[in-house]
Amino acid sequence: MKIKLKLFGQSRDFSKQDYLEFNINNHMSIAEFRNLILEFIDKNFKNNENYKKIVKSAAFCSEKNTLITNNYKITKEQTIGIIPPIGGG
Amino acid sequence: MLHAKVIDSQVEKIIIKNAEEFISSSKFGASIFFIGTVRDINENKKVTGITYDSHDALVIKSFEEIYDEADKKLNIKDKAVFIEHVKGYVGLGEISIIIAVGCQHRDQAYALSRYLIEEIKKRSPIWKKEHYLNEQSKWLEGISILNEKN
Repeated sequence: MKIKLKLFGQSRDFSKQDYLEFNINNHMSIAEFRNLILEFIDKNFKNNENYKKIVKSAAFCSEKNTLITNNYKITKEQTIGIIPPIGGG
Repeated sequence: MLHAKVIDSQVEKIIIKNAEEFISSSKFGASIFFIGTVRDINENKKVTGITYDSHDALVIKSFEEIYDEADKKLNIKDKAVFIEHVKGYVGLGEISIIIAVGCQHRDQAYALSRYLIEEIKKRSPIWKKEHYLNEQSKWLEGISILNEKN
């Protein structure tokens, strides 16, 4: 199934669009999804360590605008937001 | 009483008078306005402006949560709080955030204002991309909120 990953902050450098799309298996966990994004970085940005650091330290949020944990299972097509390290004000 | 909003800099600006009107009440003997603006130097680089990015829904949710927590932690029942944060490009000297608080007493107002800005910086999903005089730009490193929630 298709998952749209909405990009924010530093992760906007991953694409010229404001999102990435992934095809994933039903019931994939956020921890596994994170690894899939890391594979995308390896493939498209020649193992860019700064980008990988962003992914490793990012939180994620569901389409209901709730922060979701590594154990959260993705069970339907939806938009998930990646929340890199923050710093407003 | 809380007003919380993300302001798109391409559409509107933060207006201090709006905050003044919101917190104005004869119940409150103390008002504090915290105004964050874009500074000209950061880490020895000449800054020309900042582009703010925001997850709007989560930002508003975080403002509401922080406001509710302030009730319990600081025990200030009677208060008015006005919070607006910009997203989009903000030029040098322009306002990026305003936190206006009205309380009965000054010690409450100082404590509440400080609590709100510190928690927003730690918890609200907002990001900064600094633009420099040499026309380069960089996303600033921030604080991961991963450990707090996972």
